[in-house]
Amino acid sequence: MDHLDRYRRIIPDYPLFCEAMIQPLPVCVRINSLKTSADDLMSRLDKARLSYRRLGWYRWGLRLNGIRPGLLIEHLMGHIHPQEESSMIPPLVLDPQPGEKVLDLCASPGSKTTQIAQMMENDGILVANDPSPGRIVALRANCERLGAANVAVTRYDGRAFPRYEFDRILVDAPCSGEGMARKDLTVLKRCNLKRSMGLQRLQQALLGRAVDLTRQGGVIVYSTCTYAPEENEAVVESVLDRVRLIDVDIPGLARSRGLDAWDGNIFGELMGRCARYYPHHNDTGGFFVAKLIKR
Amino acid sequence: MILEDSLSQSSLNADFKLIDRDLIADLWHSRFGMPPDAFQSFSFYRKARMIWMFSEAMLPPFRLETAGLRIMSMRKGPWKPTTYALQLLGRYATKNVVSLDEDGARMFIAGGTFEIEADLEEGYVIATFEGQVLGCALYSRGRLISQLPKERRRPDDP
Repeated sequence: MDHLDRYRRIIPDYPLFCEAMIQPLPVCVRINSLKTSADDLMSRLDKARLSYRRLGWYRWGLRLNGIRPGLLIEHLMGHIHPQEESSMIPPLVLDPQPGEKVLDLCASPGSKTTQIAQMMENDGILVANDPSPGRIVALRANCERLGAANVAVTRYDGRAFPRYEFDRILVDAPCSGEGMARKDLTVLKRCNLKRSMGLQRLQQALLGRAVDLTRQGGVIVYSTCTYAPEENEAVVESVLDRVRLIDVDIPGLARSRGLDAWDGNIFGELMGRCARYYPHHNDTGGFFVAKLIKR
Repeated sequence: MILEDSLSQSSLNADFKLIDRDLIADLWHSRFGMPPDAFQSFSFYRKARMIWMFSEAMLPPFRLETAGLRIMSMRKGPWKPTTYALQLLGRYATKNVVSLDEDGARMFIAGGTFEIEADLEEGYVIATFEGQVLGCALYSRGRLISQLPKERRRPDDP
């Protein structure tokens, strides 16, 4: 937890944040609309006398009480997918439409990929890329189980993804993962400034390539599950000459604004259009989300 | 990367061969009584023994690991539907569907074989539980043999 002390001045109600960080994460699932409806799924849970609560901000999200979702028959049938609540935010901000050409540049293990596929109603093209053969195993398994028929999996280095024009691109970048520490506090042991600066180079290259690959007027969403401004605002800043920033604000979900400055670097007021999601505000993991339109 | 950009789509994914949708729809219609409409919005590709179902007629011009869902395998004997295809499309089936009770569903999920009385043709059938598709089973001489992929099976527990 000591590592997080560097954020004392930027995270509102810091003591509450620290308290939330040591609480276990609520168990969440996403209902897979490619195979079932919310009503059908919930009536099955009711019949089995399982306890759950619908998310206020997202109609396909449920919090389960005292249930391991992987053991449910609905998991095997591909009707639900275990997914941390805040991880459902970036696809919603991306807002993909049926028939579009969409790229998920850092796709494994495919939670957001399959969420995008269901938003596209299995129509159009969704390219799900990941460079790691090992991680692609999980990505493919999730796409199959959830019935995503518009997904084509590729295995490129995202920084050198081949030329193309996409309507929308999600860059859910590799990051230090501080926001997932509620799942596993040992994540924080690996976090330090040097590592964040190393990741920043990769993240800037991935986001830069994503801007190259987006059509004019197309949408890019950059997200991480870390609090480190080096991996968030500083990465978005690197493409600001080529994009417009759009305000990220999801009704029903409390957010903090992106930082206008950090550690002597001035990002500017516009960076406030990015959203920072903190554990103590919505009882979720932590996330950073930026929405960009290519000029 | 420059070299790859200049390659045509056909040479990039030459192993995925586009096949006629009607051919696929006919096979599924004769085995499961599915209306051809169920396949209308998809295109079909053959790669080795597997048939893939993808949302678009044109594959994107990248080196692809997958193109949509594997829906069936062609082999010497009868073709075999995948469990994941049945979970997506099985709701349109009108025959060779077997509804399992709780014990049957448990045995199916455990990957078991069990006797069953049902109006089924010999061969691959769709196993359902409470109106929802569980997956593929093989029906042979009054016995049902679960074809659930091994990674989805769970030992027999209540």
